[in-house]
Amino acid sequence: MNQLIVRKLIVDERNELFDAQGMKLAELKSDYSKIREYAAMLLRECPERYREGTLLEQQVSEIIKNAIKHGNHGDPEKAVRVWYDLRRRVRLIVEDEGEGFSELDAWNDFLVKRQTALYNQDFDEFLQLASWKGKNSDPDDGGNSLIAALEYWNGGMVFNAARNKVGVVRWYTNGSS
Amino acid sequence: MEMRLRANDAQGFDTVLLKGDCDLYNAPKMKTAIINRIGTGMRKLRMDFEGVAYLDSTGVGAIIQILQAMKTVTGEVVFRGITGAPRKVLEMSNVISLMKLEQADAAR
Repeated sequence: MNQLIVRKLIVDERNELFDAQGMKLAELKSDYSKIREYAAMLLRECPERYREGTLLEQQVSEIIKNAIKHGNHGDPEKAVRVWYDLRRRVRLIVEDEGEGFSELDAWNDFLVKRQTALYNQDFDEFLQLASWKGKNSDPDDGGNSLIAALEYWNGGMVFNAARNKVGVVRWYTNGSS
Repeated sequence: MEMRLRANDAQGFDTVLLKGDCDLYNAPKMKTAIINRIGTGMRKLRMDFEGVAYLDSTGVGAIIQILQAMKTVTGEVVFRGITGAPRKVLEMSNVISLMKLEQADAAR
């Protein structure tokens, strides 16, 4: 029998995903119009086999968007720092200068309700819950980037205690390549 | 992103052909145009993603809002041509479970 398993966002200040030793650093201005350009720039030297078509660029773009739009609220005085490492796997640490994702616990509760509706095949309920709407969401926010991110970053996705920094990793092999 | 409309086929569907990136910069305009058409009476919509290689969370959110708008008026939306990374994004967000895929894409 299938079992409902719901992933969650976790906070772990001391997680190894925040160890930036050996990673490259890029400091980005909070310019919404350049989000995709930033993602492409970070991945310029990325091995082709990690890209999976446009999937990697899209997932990197989502993290940068969250930092610029929801973290820094597009404030040009605030920067986004990205540590990245594309050797053997894709690892990123993305830090903004905002107040942190204060609704993280509410988001986890939302995800449980959403995935329960899906598990129960209650598609009317699921359609209503398909997008997260937080206190700062606007009508153009997709409200689903973190849901896909939890699936995509298969080696982990962790927030720091202030919730303004996220560490992620995606593995493509068992690490032996 | 280019968006072309082919109106009222033999089954009564209006088809929107999308070409380009359905992303944070383009998807809101696409969503608004389609929801406006639902507001003026469109009830059968086919969205053709064959020309779309890039879909992000804003694009997925636009799809969700179009599905919600069409459900409100008891209309119908079908999708075709969703492959590659866009399909993976819809699978990872589970939104594909809400989408009626036309026969050629129905391997799920």
